[in-house]
Amino acid sequence: MAEIAVGIDLGTSNSCVAVARGGRVEVLANSYGEHVTASVVHFAKDGAVLVGNAARAALIHDPHHTVASSKRLIGRYSFSEEVKKARAVYSYEIVDGPGHSVRVKIRDELFSLPEIAAMVLKEMKLVAEARVGKSVKQAVITVPAYFNDNQRQATKDAGRIAGLEVLRLLNEPTAAALAYGFGRGLTQRVAVYDLGGGTFDISILEIGQDVFEVLATCGDTYLGGDDFDDRVIDLLADEFVAKHGVNVRKDPYALEKLKFAAENAKRALSVEDQAEIRIPEIARSPSGEPLTLEHTLTAKEFGALVGDLVQRTFKVCDEALQQAGLVPRDLEGVILVGGPTRLPMIREAVTHYFGQTPKTDVDPDQVVAMGAAIHASTLVEGTAQDAFLLDVTPLSLRIGVAGGLAEPVIERNTPVPIEQTRTFTTYQDFQESVKIQVFQGESRKAAENELLGQFEFSGFKKLARGQVKIDVTFSINSDGLVNVTASDRDTGRKASTAITLSSGLSSQELEAIVAENRTKRVTNDAPPASDASALEVLDDSEFASLIEEDLEQLGGLGVAPEPSNALFDRKPRDLSSDEKDDSEV
Amino acid sequence: MAAITPAEVRALASLVDELDYYQLLEVSRDAPASAVKRAYYTVTRRLHPDANRDLPAADRASLENVARRISEAYQVLRDGRRRNAYDAQLAAGAGSRIRLAEAEAQAGREASAHHMGRTPNGRRYFNLARGDLDRGDLASAQRNLRTALTFEPDNTFLRKKLDEVTASLRGSSSNRAPYSR
Repeated sequence: MAEIAVGIDLGTSNSCVAVARGGRVEVLANSYGEHVTASVVHFAKDGAVLVGNAARAALIHDPHHTVASSKRLIGRYSFSEEVKKARAVYSYEIVDGPGHSVRVKIRDELFSLPEIAAMVLKEMKLVAEARVGKSVKQAVITVPAYFNDNQRQATKDAGRIAGLEVLRLLNEPTAAALAYGFGRGLTQRVAVYDLGGGTFDISILEIGQDVFEVLATCGDTYLGGDDFDDRVIDLLADEFVAKHGVNVRKDPYALEKLKFAAENAKRALSVEDQAEIRIPEIARSPSGEPLTLEHTLTAKEFGALVGDLVQRTFKVCDEALQQAGLVPRDLEGVILVGGPTRLPMIREAVTHYFGQTPKTDVDPDQVVAMGAAIHASTLVEGTAQDAFLLDVTPLSLRIGVAGGLAEPVIERNTPVPIEQTRTFTTYQDFQESVKIQVFQGESRKAAENELLGQFEFSGFKKLARGQVKIDVTFSINSDGLVNVTASDRDTGRKASTAITLSSGLSSQELEAIVAENRTKRVTNDAPPASDASALEVLDDSEFASLIEEDLEQLGGLGVAPEPSNALFDRKPRDLSSDEKDDSEV
Repeated sequence: MAAITPAEVRALASLVDELDYYQLLEVSRDAPASAVKRAYYTVTRRLHPDANRDLPAADRASLENVARRISEAYQVLRDGRRRNAYDAQLAAGAGSRIRLAEAEAQAGREASAHHMGRTPNGRRYFNLARGDLDRGDLASAQRNLRTALTFEPDNTFLRKKLDEVTASLRGSSSNRAPYSR
C-alpha cells in the first residue's frame, strides 16, 4: 500500500484528479478548493510557468504567451485541419516541428505538445500530492475513446515527461461507465454520451458480473464545447461589425474577451433561460469613442446556433448503436459526461434520442477522473473481485497497398488486446523490398486515414509478382497502442516496429527531456534533430507526396493497380493485397 | 478466483496455437451466444495480464499473447455469420484460426459478384441493412438501403430490396414508430 496511483482526466478545457482508497473514490481539490483545474498554461515574462485558473485569467491580458485547448493539437500533424484552425483561433504561435509535428513558440522557446500537456499533468500531480500528503508516481490517464495511436502515444509521452508512470491510458467513456457502475452489481446495457471541450465520444457498454464490456465506441475528435463557443463568438463579432463597423476579431485582446464572454454565456445557459453579455470598451470607434458589446443570448437563439452540431453527435450515436447491433430502446441507462452536457438543450436532445432521461447522479466534470482512479487502484492492488474492463479499438488499422488504397487488418470495435495477420504480396516482378505503411481510419483511400508510421521490409527472395508471401501482423495492447510485424513466409525473416512516429517527439528527444527532467525545450537556434532511425519516421518529401497526391480511388478489390502509380514509389516496391491467398487461413 | 501460476501460464502458452476457439473459451461447439459471452468474461478475467500483475514479466508477456487469442476467439464466436464461417473451416480441417480481414474481404468480393454493391459504401450500407434485417429492424434496413442507393442509384438489386422492405414496413407501420428518427 506504499504506492498511491491516481486517475487523471486530462481534458481540453479542464483537468481533474482523483484517488481511490479503501473502497472510496475522492476527487482531489486544488489549492483554491476547486475540483477541476483549467488546462491552461501561461508563460510569464520572468520565466515562471502558471497552470490552471491563474493561467486562464492570463488569457485576457497576455494571450500570446498563454496556451489553452492544447489537447486539440496533441498528436496531430502540422498540416491537419485542426492545426490550421487553431492557428486562426488561438493567439499563441504555432510552428512546424520536425516530421510535420507541431510546436508552440513562446518568446524564443519551442515546446512540443507533450511538453505542454506534461505541465498540466504535473500540476495535477502536485494537486494530488498536496492532498494525499505523499509523492505520487503512478497514474491512469484518460483519453477520448476516438483518439488515434498518434494522440495516445503523445499523451503517454506527456505522462512520462511529467514524471508519472502511466499505468494505462483509459478511454474516457469507459472510465465514466466504471465510475457509474462500480460496486453496484449492475447488469445493464448503457450508453456514455461524452461531449467535452474539444471531442465527442459515444460508447455502448454492457455491464455484468462486474465486467465492463465495451460493445462499440465511436466519436468525433473535431467536435466539442469549444465549437459551441466559436458559434457564439461569430454571432457577437458579426453583429458588432454590422453595428459599429469594427471587426473585433482582428484584436487578439478583444478576441480573448469575446471567447471568455461566450464561454460564460454558455455556462449561464445551463441554469438560466438567457445570458446577458456585456463587454465594455471592447474596441474604439474610428473617431476614438469606446464601444461596448452588448447582447442578450437566449436559450432559443443559442439552440439555433449550435443545433446542427448537436445533431452531428446523434449521427455518431447512430453509428455506434449500429456497430453494437442495438437500437436506442435496448439501453437501460444513459450517462452524461462533459461540461456541455449540463446544457438543457443537450439533455433534452439526448432524452429524445434515447427515449429515456439520462442519469444525473454522477457529476459530468468529475466522473471520468473517478473512473480512472478506480482503475488505477485495481491495477496497483489487483484483487479478483475488482471491476474488470474489456475495451475495444475505436478505429480500423490498415495497411497501404498499391493504388493509394488502405486494406483493413483489424476492424474497428474489435476487443483488445488483439493480434491479426493478413498476407500480402509483391506487385511487381523481382521486387526487392516493400514499404509497410500503417494507417488508422475508416476510409479505403489511404490518404484519408491517419498515417501512423512506415518501415521498409526486404531480404526476401526476388520472385515474380505475387509469388512472395508476406505476413503482416498488427497487434494492439490494452492501452490501445499499436505494434506491427512483417515476416516472409519463405525465409521466416522478420521486421517489426512499435509505431513511434506518433507523438511528434522522437524517442531520443523524449529521453533527453525525461533525463533532464525539464518541461521546456531548447531554443529556436537549436532545432531538435529528427529521429535518425528512419524506419519509423517518414522522410519529409515522401510525406508531402503522400498528402498531396489526390489519387483516384480504384474500384473493387480485384482491380490491379497501375505500376506507374506515384504514391509510394520511384522504385517498384509496393504491396498489393493478395487476392489468391485468402484460402490460406 | 485464484490467480494463475507461472507453470500454468507456460503450459497454456505452449498449447495456445493448437486450441480452437471453443477450447480457448472453454465452451462446447453448440454453446449459445449468451454462454459464449459468459465464458469470455470468466476466462478473460482469469487470464488477462491485468488480473495477474504479480507474475514475472516474461510470463505476463506470454499471457498477453494468450489474452489476444481469447479476444480473437470471442470476436469470431459472438458473431453468428463469423461463427458459421469458422465452423465450416473447422469441419474442413482447415486450421483452428480464422483470418478475419481476409475472410471479410472474401465476403465483400462475393457480395460484389452478386451485385449486392459495386462500391465500398454501397456494400457497406447493404451489409448494414442485412444486419438490420437479421434483427428484424425494418426501419433501419430501409434507411441503410436508401443510403446504399445514393452511392449506386442504378443498382436494381438494391432497389428491389428497398421496395421489399418498404412494402413490409407498410404492413407493420404501427410498432416501428418510436424508433423512426
